[in-house]
Amino acid sequence: MKVTIKNWVGVATWRWVANDDNCGICRMPFDGCCPDCKLPGDDCPLVWGQCSHCFHMHCIVKWLQSQQVNQQCPMCRQEWKFNNK
Amino acid sequence: MNFDFKDVFPILHTSFSLPFKEVNDYKLIETVNSINQLKLAHTIQALVFHKVENYMRETVAPEFWFHFNLSNDVEGFSQFYKAIDLLHNYFTQFLYLMRNVNVLRERSRCTEAVYGEKNAVQVLKVIIRATLLSQLPSEHNKIIEHFYETGLKMNDGHFQEKVCEVCLKDSINCRCLNCFYETNRKMVDLELLEPLVGQVLTSLIYTHIENHISKTCKDNFDNSFINILEMWLDNFIINWLHKVYYCGQSSESQDYVTIFKRKLTNFLYETYTKMRINQLFNIIIEYPESLPALEDLGKCLPKTDLRPLLTKKLQKAMETRLLHPGVSTPDILTAYVASIRSMRVLDPSGLLLEMVTQPMHQYLRSREDTVRCVVGSLTEEGLNDLAEELVKGDAVHVDENGGSDEESENWENWMPDPVDIDRNKSSNVRRTSDIISMLVSVYGSKELFINEYRTLLADRLLSQFSCDTEKEIRYLELLKLRFGDSQLHYCEVMLKDIADSKRINHHIKQDTDYTEKNFSMSAMVLSAQFWPPFKDEKLELHNKIVSQMEAFTGAFETLKGNRTLSWKNHLGIVDLEIELPDRTLNLSVTPVHATILMYFQDKNEWELDSLSRVVHIPPTVLRKKIGFWQSHGLIEEVNLNVFCLMEERESNRANLNVDVVVEDYESESIMASTQDQREEELQTFWSYIIGMLMNLDSLPLERIHQMLKMFAFQGPTIECSIQELTQFLDRKVREHQLVFSGGLYKLPKGDM
Repeated sequence: MKVTIKNWVGVATWRWVANDDNCGICRMPFDGCCPDCKLPGDDCPLVWGQCSHCFHMHCIVKWLQSQQVNQQCPMCRQEWKFNNK
Repeated sequence: MNFDFKDVFPILHTSFSLPFKEVNDYKLIETVNSINQLKLAHTIQALVFHKVENYMRETVAPEFWFHFNLSNDVEGFSQFYKAIDLLHNYFTQFLYLMRNVNVLRERSRCTEAVYGEKNAVQVLKVIIRATLLSQLPSEHNKIIEHFYETGLKMNDGHFQEKVCEVCLKDSINCRCLNCFYETNRKMVDLELLEPLVGQVLTSLIYTHIENHISKTCKDNFDNSFINILEMWLDNFIINWLHKVYYCGQSSESQDYVTIFKRKLTNFLYETYTKMRINQLFNIIIEYPESLPALEDLGKCLPKTDLRPLLTKKLQKAMETRLLHPGVSTPDILTAYVASIRSMRVLDPSGLLLEMVTQPMHQYLRSREDTVRCVVGSLTEEGLNDLAEELVKGDAVHVDENGGSDEESENWENWMPDPVDIDRNKSSNVRRTSDIISMLVSVYGSKELFINEYRTLLADRLLSQFSCDTEKEIRYLELLKLRFGDSQLHYCEVMLKDIADSKRINHHIKQDTDYTEKNFSMSAMVLSAQFWPPFKDEKLELHNKIVSQMEAFTGAFETLKGNRTLSWKNHLGIVDLEIELPDRTLNLSVTPVHATILMYFQDKNEWELDSLSRVVHIPPTVLRKKIGFWQSHGLIEEVNLNVFCLMEERESNRANLNVDVVVEDYESESIMASTQDQREEELQTFWSYIIGMLMNLDSLPLERIHQMLKMFAFQGPTIECSIQELTQFLDRKVREHQLVFSGGLYKLPKGDM
C-alpha cells in the first residue's frame, strides 16, 4: 500500500512569544488586542523594551505620552527604550 | 219592538251554522239602537266574545291542531297549508260578526278595551292566538319546520326535477310555491306568523347558514368569503324572508325583517369566525397562501366577541399538534414564524400574538437545539423565512426597558389594545412583531444567541476549509445591522483570520527557505482569543507531518516576527491518495484517520494498546476511528484488539465489513459544547465560593448566591440562576469537595 498525502490543511493558533500572557497596562491578553483596537496581530502589535518587558504598542505609546518628564517602563521604572530586535 | 239581536249576532243562537247569515245594514242599525236603549251593549258584547272564545276552544283549535298529528314528512307541507287555510277561513267568517260588534261599540260609545284591544277584529285575533297557543301540541314544530324547510328549498331552486316533490305534479302545474306564499300571507293576516313560527324559522335559518358556510368555505383558505357570504345572506335569506313576511304590506313586518337581518348577519359572522378559529392552526401553517382567510378573520374579530375563544383554541391546537417531542425543532420554528406573521394580520397591536405565542416560547426555551436551529436557518442558503427576515433588517431591541423611538414616530396610527383580552396575563413589556427579535427574546439574551452563532460559524469555517467567506461576511454584515457591531466583533475577527490565513499560506509557499518535501501543507491560522474554545483532543502526529509542521512554523515565525504557532493536531483536513494493488482511493479525511493509516504503512500489524500509546488517543476512541478504515476494507481486526492492514480486498470479507459502524465525524461539532463552556464559567465561581466558606465557615444557598451576585457576576454573560448554582454545588458535594448539612454548605474538614 502506498499512501500519498496530496494536501494537508492543518489548524493552528498563533501567539506572541512573550514572557507573560497579559499586557501589563491594559491587562488584556497579548493574543487579543488593546482596548482601542478591534483586530489582533498585525493591527495591534507588541513591542519590547530593553528592560525585556513587553506591551501592546498602542498601550505603551499612550503611557509614554502621558509621562511628562521621564520615559519609564511602567513595570520596572527603568528608562524605556524600544528594543528593536 | 220586534227584533232579535240573535240575528245580528248569530253566534248567540244555541245552534248556528257557518257561514253566518248576514242581515242588512238597516236592520243592524235598528237592532243596535234598541240594544243601546236597553243599555245592554256591554252585556251583549261580553256575551259575543265569550261565545267566540268557546267556539274557538271547542271547535277551531282542535280542528287546527288535528292537522299536526301526522308525522308523515311529505304530507307535512300540505297539512300545514290546510291547517292555516282552515283557520283563515274561520277568521274571515268571524269578521262579519266582529264588524257588527264594532258597530255596536261605536253606537254605544263603548271605549272600554277588551284584552287590551279596542277594535273587535283585533280582539278576535288575540282570542285566536291565545286559544291556539293554549292547546299547543308538543310535536307542532316538526310540521312547521318541514313546511319552511321545503319553502327554503324551493327558494334555493332545489326542485329542478320535472316533478315537484311535494305535490307530485309537473313543475309547470305545481302550485306549491303559491301555496307557500298564500299560507304566509294568511298568517300575517292573522298576526300569527311570529308567535307560531318565529322560533322555528330562526333556528331553521341558523342551520341553513351553518350548512352553507361549511359547504362553501370549509377547506378553502385561499379566498376571502366574508363579502360573498354577506351577499348570499342578502340575496337568498333576506329576500326570502321578505317574501315570507309579505313585505310591502305593513311597515311593521318590514321592521321585523330588518331586525331579523341584523340578527342573522351577526350569526353569520359568528359562525364563520368560529369555523375559522377552529381551523386557525391549519390556516397558520398554510400562511401565506391562507392570507385571505386570515384577513376575513381579522375583519370578523372586532364584530364578534370571540377573541378569548381564539386564544384558547389556538393554544390548545398548538399544544396538541406542535409542542410535543414528536415535532422537530425546525418545524416548530417554521410554525412559530408563520404564527407571528399571521397574528400580525389579525391583530396589529401584538397583544394577541403575545398571548398565543406564550406557550411556544416556553416550549422552545426547553429545547436544547433551538438557538442552533434559529442561527442555522438564519444563515442558511436558499429560500428561507428567517433569512428573508434578516435581510429586511432592523436593529433588535432586546433591552428590558424597551421603549424604542419608533413607537412615537407613527403615533397617528396608534390603536388602543383590544379590550376583550384577559388583562391580567398580558405583561407590559415591549411588544414587537419583528420575528427575529422575538426569536432572540425567547432566550432573553442576545449573548446566548451570538455565542451560538459564533460556534456555528466556527464549525462551518473549519469544516469547509475553503477560503470563500464571501457569503459568511454578507450574513455577518446583516447580523451586525441587527445586533450591533460590538456583539459580533469576535466573529469579524474569525472571518478575518480565514482571509489572513490565505495570505499567510501564500507568503510561506513563496519563502525560499521553506521547502515541502512530499506534500503540500497549508494552515488555518486562528486568533485563539476570538474563537470559541476548541474541544481538547490529543493526537500525536506522524513524524513526517510533525517535521513539516515545524518547517511551516519556522516560516511563519520569520514572516511574522515574535509570533509562533501552536498546532491543533486533531483539526484539519487531509487529501489522501491510497494506492492498493487492485485499486486507488482518493479520500478527504481528518488528521486522525490519516495518522492511523500512516502508522499502518510503517507497520502492517498493530495492537490497539500500543497504537494508542503512540498516537495518544484512548483505545476506545481509537477503535472507533479505525472503524472508518475497516469500513473501507483497508484494515481488519484479525484477533481481538489486533488490527492488520489488508492489502488486497477479498470480496467476501469486504462485504462483511460493510456492517462496521462508520463514525459520522462530520456531524460532530469540533467546538466545545455550550454546556462545557458553561461548566467552565461556573468553575470560575468556585474560587469565590471556597473563599466565602473559608471565612464564614458555613452558608445557606441563598447567601452564596447573593454574595456571588455582589462580587462575581460582573460580565453580561456571567450570570447564574439559583437553580444552576444548586446543581453546581450539589455536584461538588457528590465529588466530596463540599459538605451539605442542615441547609448549609461547608468545606470538608480535611481540606482546610
